[in-house]
Amino acid sequence: MSARDRILNRIKRVTVDASEPAPARTKPHLAQPQDRVAQFLAQAEAVQASATRIGSLDELPGAVADELRNRNLPAAIRTGTDPMFDRDWGTVERSTGAGRMKEPVTMTRAEAGLAETGSLAFASGPDNPVTLNFLGETHFAVVKASDLADGFEDLWAAWRTKGLDPRTVNLVTGPSRSGDLGQTIQLGAHGPVALHIFLVDDI
Amino acid sequence: MSAFSPTTPRFKENVREALANENIQTAMSTAGGGFATARAKARDAMPEFDTIRDEARDLKNHVLANLGDYLEQYEANVTRSGGVVHWAETAEDARAIVLDICRKAEARTVSKGKTMISEECGINEHLEANGIEAVETDLGEYIVQMRGEAPSHIIAPAVHVTLDEVEELFRERHTHLPPDRRMDLETMLAEARGTLREKYFAAEVGITGANMLVAETGQSVIVTNEGNGDLTQSLARVHIVMASIEKIVPTLDDASTVLRVLARSATGQTASVYTTFSAGPRRAEDEDGPEEYHVVLVDNGRTNMLGTEFQDALRCIRCGACMNHCPVYRAVGGHAYGWVYPGPIGSVMTPALIGVEKGGNLPNASTFCGRCEAVCPMRIPLPKMMRHWREKEFEKGLTPGATRWGLGLWRRLAAQPRLYGAVVSVMNRTLSTLGRWRGNFDWLPLASGWTDHRDFPAPPPGGSFQAQWQARGGKR
Repeated sequence: MSARDRILNRIKRVTVDASEPAPARTKPHLAQPQDRVAQFLAQAEAVQASATRIGSLDELPGAVADELRNRNLPAAIRTGTDPMFDRDWGTVERSTGAGRMKEPVTMTRAEAGLAETGSLAFASGPDNPVTLNFLGETHFAVVKASDLADGFEDLWAAWRTKGLDPRTVNLVTGPSRSGDLGQTIQLGAHGPVALHIFLVDDI
Repeated sequence: MSAFSPTTPRFKENVREALANENIQTAMSTAGGGFATARAKARDAMPEFDTIRDEARDLKNHVLANLGDYLEQYEANVTRSGGVVHWAETAEDARAIVLDICRKAEARTVSKGKTMISEECGINEHLEANGIEAVETDLGEYIVQMRGEAPSHIIAPAVHVTLDEVEELFRERHTHLPPDRRMDLETMLAEARGTLREKYFAAEVGITGANMLVAETGQSVIVTNEGNGDLTQSLARVHIVMASIEKIVPTLDDASTVLRVLARSATGQTASVYTTFSAGPRRAEDEDGPEEYHVVLVDNGRTNMLGTEFQDALRCIRCGACMNHCPVYRAVGGHAYGWVYPGPIGSVMTPALIGVEKGGNLPNASTFCGRCEAVCPMRIPLPKMMRHWREKEFEKGLTPGATRWGLGLWRRLAAQPRLYGAVVSVMNRTLSTLGRWRGNFDWLPLASGWTDHRDFPAPPPGGSFQAQWQARGGKR
């Protein structure tokens, strides 16, 4: 008998209780916002993310160039091959591919945002390599207002409708942090030091 | 202390040393009640918090009642997504499985996200003994690994280490940097970040734990704040997930229930920074992600807890709230507990996993104040379980002679109410008379455990509660 069978046998000998019902689920009030966009931004800013609202994707290159300048960063970004980023980037140099050891600024597209927590939801794939969400010193994320969901359950429901089934889903809530040194929270532990969201107002 | 040689049997000496250790006392008092305050705030900000705790408890009860079916469903879905599931009955089996995968991957360096089950199985020692470097990447774990220690808290592994000690450690170990460099919080973080980033890229294998395993999708879920777990699992060629069998949740919506109580209970955050769901190895078109995806499902004694009075402890989601609120833990720190899991949950899990003979000390180290149960997101009845362990310890004759003798004396006395009343009355009057002047005692025979640290109050005149009750004819 294999280890698998021995473990499963031990479990099934003592836990054949199909009467234990699957539990109810309460949706917290946080997940039922009055104004989804406003709550998403408020929650994201509460966890030290920052945001710019733009009217359409056409404004993205200009907004990115401005943000890089404001942060005194080199005019270069690394992205995946998402068609969303097929634009004229002007003076900003764009390279594509997975993340490398040193990445001053990465940019990825979030499939959704969560008003409940201010989280961004990224789906992995060649168009948005997962490492770009973690290796950038500064991480730019682009999300459409029409892709914002209220709570977790709405997020999963929307993804099922869209038929999304990525290998990896990253929920990101603010920039990386650690409290391991002297119990003081510091940003930028291993992941990005800063997270800036470009929210596209398409609704 | 290691997974192989718990120091739990010498718990009392550990406690004495911890109380006398200035660094531990400084670090523990710096940490203070930060986590507890943050949790209280997070709880107040979500009125449904306690309702969702009930649902989380019911969810895990449902999972444990149907664990076999869910594990099979989970395994089928991992396989469907191209991953491999390995079953480990014991820590030894888990070590062998992990080493075998690492050898096949020709690994020289293994990066590690924070995983308590790996601590439990002694993975690092085993890899090192076989010539493979295991690098902990969580900042706290990185610090304790360099100090040759185990984590002293399940989510804040280096909570017992002072900043001065970290500075000294980094100066000693980061020899590639100028020795006279200025060091503050920011530069220390940057040093660790720079050093570890190279390790993520060098590692052939990345090992993480799992906060949850989702049966309907075959995904493993990790919840972190630093992002180290994600770099560990997406940059190495091979990803190994180590998880104990009770980490199962049936669906993504059930995972949401757990997530809603996990971060709030742990650190008081609404959500941890990174919650990652992973299924299988990288796909054909992907530019990153591991080429191999393995899950090691570890039992190591848990199936023996099913169907017993300790089954409810398997609902634990390892948030650490019980230790953050425990007066004993906060006084002595985590290492005194002598094995992998400290605090109230450690006092229940340790005897279950390493035996009451070795771990029976821990359930005795409780005042039964009940704060652990009051804050547990999964409503685990921790004090009740510690009482069960005390009973088991007594039944097995493991309780020390003096304690057994005292308990026996008390039992004989308590079984004779008149005699009991008379003895208590004499003691009461004696203490009341002797203590009339000061109102308390700084020394009493056989009570130095109390009076060494605080005064013992003298009973007020008027006799015991029962005597007063009788004197008033059974009325208030």
